[in-house]
Amino acid sequence: MTEETRQVLDVDVLFVGAGSASLAGALHLKRITGKAGLDISIAIIEKAREVGAHSLSGAIIDPRTLNELIPDHLEKGVPFEAEVAEEHMYYLSSKGKFRFPYLPKSMSHHGCYVASLGQFTRWLGKICEQEGIDIFCGFSGSELLYENEKVIGVRTGDRGIDKHGNHKSNFDQGVDIHAKTTVLGEGTRGSLTKTLINKFNLMQGKNPQVWAIGVKELWQMPKDSIKPGYVAHTMGFPLGHDIFGGAFIYGMKNDILDLGLVMGLDYKDPSIDPHHELQLLKTHPWVRSLLKNGKMIAYGAKSLPEGGYFSLPKLTVDGAMLIGDSAGFMNGQRLKGIHLAMKSGMEAAETILNALQKNDFSDSTLSDFQNRIDKSWIKTELYKVRNFHQAFDYGLLPALVNTGLGLLTGGRAWGVLNHLPSKNGHEHLTKLDSGSQSGGNGGNSKYDQLEFDGNYLFDKVTNVYHSATAHDEDQVPHLHVQDTDICINRCTEEFGNPCKYFCPADVYEMTGEDNNRHLQINFSNCVHCKTCDIMDPYQIIEWVPPEGGDGPAWVNL
Amino acid sequence: MKICVLIKQVPDKDSSLTIADDHLTLVENNITWVSNESDNYALEEALLLKEKHGGEVIACTLGKDSARQVLKDALAKGADRGIFISDSSFDNLDVLSLGKVIASTLEKENFDIIMSGLQSDDQGNSQLGLILAELLNMSHGSLVMGTEIIDDSTIRVKKELEGGWFQWTKLSLPASISIQSGINSPRYATLKGIMMVKKKTVDDVTASDISSDALESNVTINKIYVPDKTKETQFIEGSPEEISEKLVELFKNDIKVLN
Ligand SMILES: Cc1cc2nc3c(=O)[nH]c(=O)nc-3n(C[C@H](O)[C@H](O)[C@H](O)COP(=O)(O)OP(=O)(O)OC[C@H]3O[C@@H](n4cnc5c(N)ncnc54)[C@H](O)[C@@H]3O)c2cc1C
Repeated sequence: MTEETRQVLDVDVLFVGAGSASLAGALHLKRITGKAGLDISIAIIEKAREVGAHSLSGAIIDPRTLNELIPDHLEKGVPFEAEVAEEHMYYLSSKGKFRFPYLPKSMSHHGCYVASLGQFTRWLGKICEQEGIDIFCGFSGSELLYENEKVIGVRTGDRGIDKHGNHKSNFDQGVDIHAKTTVLGEGTRGSLTKTLINKFNLMQGKNPQVWAIGVKELWQMPKDSIKPGYVAHTMGFPLGHDIFGGAFIYGMKNDILDLGLVMGLDYKDPSIDPHHELQLLKTHPWVRSLLKNGKMIAYGAKSLPEGGYFSLPKLTVDGAMLIGDSAGFMNGQRLKGIHLAMKSGMEAAETILNALQKNDFSDSTLSDFQNRIDKSWIKTELYKVRNFHQAFDYGLLPALVNTGLGLLTGGRAWGVLNHLPSKNGHEHLTKLDSGSQSGGNGGNSKYDQLEFDGNYLFDKVTNVYHSATAHDEDQVPHLHVQDTDICINRCTEEFGNPCKYFCPADVYEMTGEDNNRHLQINFSNCVHCKTCDIMDPYQIIEWVPPEGGDGPAWVNL
Repeated sequence: MKICVLIKQVPDKDSSLTIADDHLTLVENNITWVSNESDNYALEEALLLKEKHGGEVIACTLGKDSARQVLKDALAKGADRGIFISDSSFDNLDVLSLGKVIASTLEKENFDIIMSGLQSDDQGNSQLGLILAELLNMSHGSLVMGTEIIDDSTIRVKKELEGGWFQWTKLSLPASISIQSGINSPRYATLKGIMMVKKKTVDDVTASDISSDALESNVTINKIYVPDKTKETQFIEGSPEEISEKLVELFKNDIKVLN
């Protein structure tokens, strides 16, 4: 098959990624264009086999945007698990648990709902389809298409290519989807988003984006042992004061408990292992008592952008815009991005309606998106917490002081500064010879106490099995490491190969001895969290989508 | 050729399955549902025959409401229309009764070929194709690894026998054929194919449409459990020569992979 025979599909607007940002954006766009008398075609492509299979979140959903988009969502059967019924905030020491004396109103989850993001996006996806939006699952966007530096659409990934790069008998060449506007709603660390940001230097003059990783398990508990709507957040153990983050424990329907740990991808010690931190959390007597007689039934991990307002890139270029986590609309202090992702999608829709009416999709029209964001409550919400994450560079206690002062002063750092700078997360990693870490090539000694008993604590391979992840093994690995010599030599010496530790799915393995060492990439384990792409100290790992449809098959995460 | 393909929705083999407390069912809220593996090969074989000889491919499933998805997928890959059989009264029927329901639905269509996967990944009965052949008075071929239409009334099928042997057999049409996984490389649904789905029809069939004598189940499930681990690891010791000798012995006599 050649370029001449490549199929082209023309649509008016293309959304990449069927997350809450795109789904809300597409639905709103369909409705407002309909009202304006325009009949436009809207397509969404999604790399997962079905909508929701790659959705992972907490999640506590703030219904604010949903109230605007689908006011009768309760009648329409929105799959919320329960309204937040009780909420707790604890500081954990390795054995103890201390209640925070006071929970600021802005951090309360009153009126919000515990939900599974995967169930929520499945529901929203069905509504989109009912209203005439085409959702193409199993199609990844593999390349942005340009005409004179203007984005004109997306090429979907080829399917049916073997591990040597040859066509299999069912080879299916990727399609060029041309659109007047392409909206990137790829979620965290989007692969197309990354190329767009680099090509047009969209982070210029902004704080670098910083990410966190969330590692999560679902537990089936004995009857009536966890109340739907139960919400607890913790700080302290096992992360200590040097690593940003904390745990969340939510009660869902049918006696299912969400247990997750979020930690900043700007930690210093290269032997830190987020999966192991989650296992450590379960050694805490209180957490352990919560899980008593339960059974772990699902696992997953995903990164999330934490940089906040100052880390938002320029949001538009000619022919394209960034929404949701792809742009970084995430409130780190509240650990909430779903309502912001949806709202950013809706504001993008308003911008596109205007562009359709003017028939002008250049940046000069699309850039009105930024103005709309700034006039909306998105800015109000994000601006208040604009210095939240940066302060964690100084450790947990100063950061809490900062959070408190910020609450009093509308978000000023330490109560004074308007804009705290930050640096790239991977640049925080310290070299082995600096002696600042407890590990080395042998791993971190604080994990020695972990006994993977298969009941409460699990090794990575067991957990990955519970993520129901599957990739056709006969394809070119979708994790591109530019120069594995760096891994084998420089990285081993300087950082002790942190990829072995930060990957929550055991994708990276150093095998062999001495002169025969090499990096083995078990790409079929990959749960699409993008941590390697973010945290690799040399920035030589490139995550690209695997064959469409491959990856985790999450149901309730 | 007018070909029907039977497709069942089953739990994904990669999802981690949890047995419910009653030990009679699986906990469904954590399952990913997919089209049964060998049914995908059956669909592909039907589409290939259609491409070569013309005709029509109709996808048919019996299942819960979520099973509509397998029809959508089949239509996206190129099936012309769908038949969706669903009724809560079918939920706990055994395979013979299900066969009666399906036969009653398909009878009036006068298919030349009914293709099914060899067995479903959930129940693994491996009987439906055969039962349909009997009820609808069709010839039957199972474990099929190749097909070739000879003329309007004859098809040749390559059947898998034991030990790596195959047999080509001629069957008179109409025929019910059970397809073995691996016979072909199932295609992907294309963007255009997915867009076409909206324009294709799916006929709904419920219990009131079925003309069959009393449906009942002669099979009851008493308990679902994970098989006890009975695997044994055998350590062979000795010099390399002794070990290889013992290994060959084992391969020949116990595991029977060498002659
Ligand atoms: C552990 C954790 C806990 C969280 N807790 C909460 C919470 O309690 N409340 C809250 O509001 N928010 C929470 N968040 C944040 C929230 O989940 C995100 O902000 C939100 O999901 C962002 O939505 P999105 O649509 O931008 O991206 P996503 O939900 O990530 O969706 C993006 C979609 O795009 C697809 N995709 C990506 N690239 C491509 C491509 N190239 N081609 C095709 N498809 C592609 C992906 O498969 C995915 O389906 C949490 C996040 C994490 C990780």
